[in-house]
Amino acid sequence: MKHLRFIAVIAAIVLCASWQARAADVKVIANSSVAATSVSAGDIKDVFLLDKDSLGGSHVDPVLSKGGAAHEAFLKEYLGKNDAALQAFYRSLVFTGKASMPKSLASDAEVVAYVAKTKGAVGYVSSGASTEGVKTLQVK
Amino acid sequence: MKQIIGRLMAGGMLAALALSMTLHAQEFKLGSRTVQVHGFASQGYAYSNENNFLTMNTSHGSPAFTEGALNVSMAVTDKFRVGGQGYTRKIGSLDDFRPSLDWAYGDYKFASWFGVRGGKVKTVLGLYNDTQDMTFLYTWALLPQGVYPVDLRTTYIAHTGGDAYGRVSLKKAGKLEYTLYAGVRSFDNREGYYYYSAGGGFPISTIKGRMIGADLKWFPVKGLTLGASGADLTAHRTGFLGKTPYTFDSNPNRPLAGYANYARGKWEGSFEYRYVNNYEDISFGGATPIHEDKCTRNWFAAASYRITPKLQAGFYHSSTNVEAPTIPTNTASNHIYDEVVAARYDVNSHWDVKAEGHFMDGYGDGRQTQGFYKQWNPQGLKPTTNLLMLRATFKF
Repeated sequence: MKHLRFIAVIAAIVLCASWQARAADVKVIANSSVAATSVSAGDIKDVFLLDKDSLGGSHVDPVLSKGGAAHEAFLKEYLGKNDAALQAFYRSLVFTGKASMPKSLASDAEVVAYVAKTKGAVGYVSSGASTEGVKTLQVK
Repeated sequence: MKQIIGRLMAGGMLAALALSMTLHAQEFKLGSRTVQVHGFASQGYAYSNENNFLTMNTSHGSPAFTEGALNVSMAVTDKFRVGGQGYTRKIGSLDDFRPSLDWAYGDYKFASWFGVRGGKVKTVLGLYNDTQDMTFLYTWALLPQGVYPVDLRTTYIAHTGGDAYGRVSLKKAGKLEYTLYAGVRSFDNREGYYYYSAGGGFPISTIKGRMIGADLKWFPVKGLTLGASGADLTAHRTGFLGKTPYTFDSNPNRPLAGYANYARGKWEGSFEYRYVNNYEDISFGGATPIHEDKCTRNWFAAASYRITPKLQAGFYHSSTNVEAPTIPTNTASNHIYDEVVAARYDVNSHWDVKAEGHFMDGYGDGRQTQGFYKQWNPQGLKPTTNLLMLRATFKF
């Protein structure tokens, strides 16, 4: 019985640690004009699926990475869609006139540079990327 | 002359599309705002063993399956968007590259729970009505024709009028999205209504109508969409049977749809049931109208699986059943059942190619617009049709 409890506790710790590790793979960043300093996972999903266009009262526009580990981790962690499904989703809106295609950039450095200079921009980069000139949003 | 101008405009549009493709110029600045340009071009090939399908000479193999669109849009302010899309196609004798304004409207979003659109707006009905021509969104080369017939695209895809729309959070119960709309319908004299009327000896001189409708989508859990749509449509047709004038009214024509879509991992499944009740009155030379109630029960069930990041495979069953007292009970003429196997390969983010086999049983009622027309099958319709469909699409 004691062994079972021990195994259950270890399993819970491992699960929790692996979840945190996935979440920690990506940093969500924003232009300094964005008033919010922290966001919920639901807010991130709403912003990137174009359901929501403001955070903390500031207008925001999502910025995507074209691929890479941070992009894959972000899609899995926050949007629950693979890249093909996300592109199809955006195109269904663009070709009916309901939204514009979010900006998509090739590297973390490009995302950081674009977010730093663009009012209301919100993006994501890998956890090790330099985020000079942008604010990192804490995910609640 | 009109035809020449139309072809020149279509040519111009396709040239602009080709130029955009070459340049990959997808956006430019207008003042401080960004204008985006997107488009697609698609080419298909259809080959059938028996009946000719969708006004193409498919029994000999037909490449007459081309369509393309080009759109421009911009956010004028954070709340107000404007845009428009031109569209052209030639599918057999459907449309013949005549360019059309697919949609063009202004959209003001007061908040996520309430916005309005005005102009020519894509009509939300069922899972895919407003996106039915965006072949690049789907595994399939042809969407289930029982519910989304290619030959009635113009008739259902947009209305000139307005929408009210929004999305509300239900907390733990997910989200709810609504669309309410009203407007004037569009018709095209190179599409299904005209061809089936001409095939039945009732060529249409004029046709007009309106549509009012609503759609409700519920997103209860991740990956799942459940929805219901309903519309009240009218169509008032005039023409001549020989030298006798006639009027033919569908008043109303009421499609009701219930649908579901579920995507999880590499799997996606969808289902839609469409019931259409049609109250028809036809009058010759001003005489008392002859009345007929007709209904169609159409549905499809589809499943697809992403085998690799680039390759998808899928299957669907599409079913069309026509019911009316005057429709023959001949088993081939009151239904079309279509079993479809499909594969899609994404060459890159801009190109995809598809191959699809259709195994159709029945050809539907001669007075319905479901792909098989008397004019393109003068030898008479056979009870079954196998069709191979190939398609390549570029989008940006």
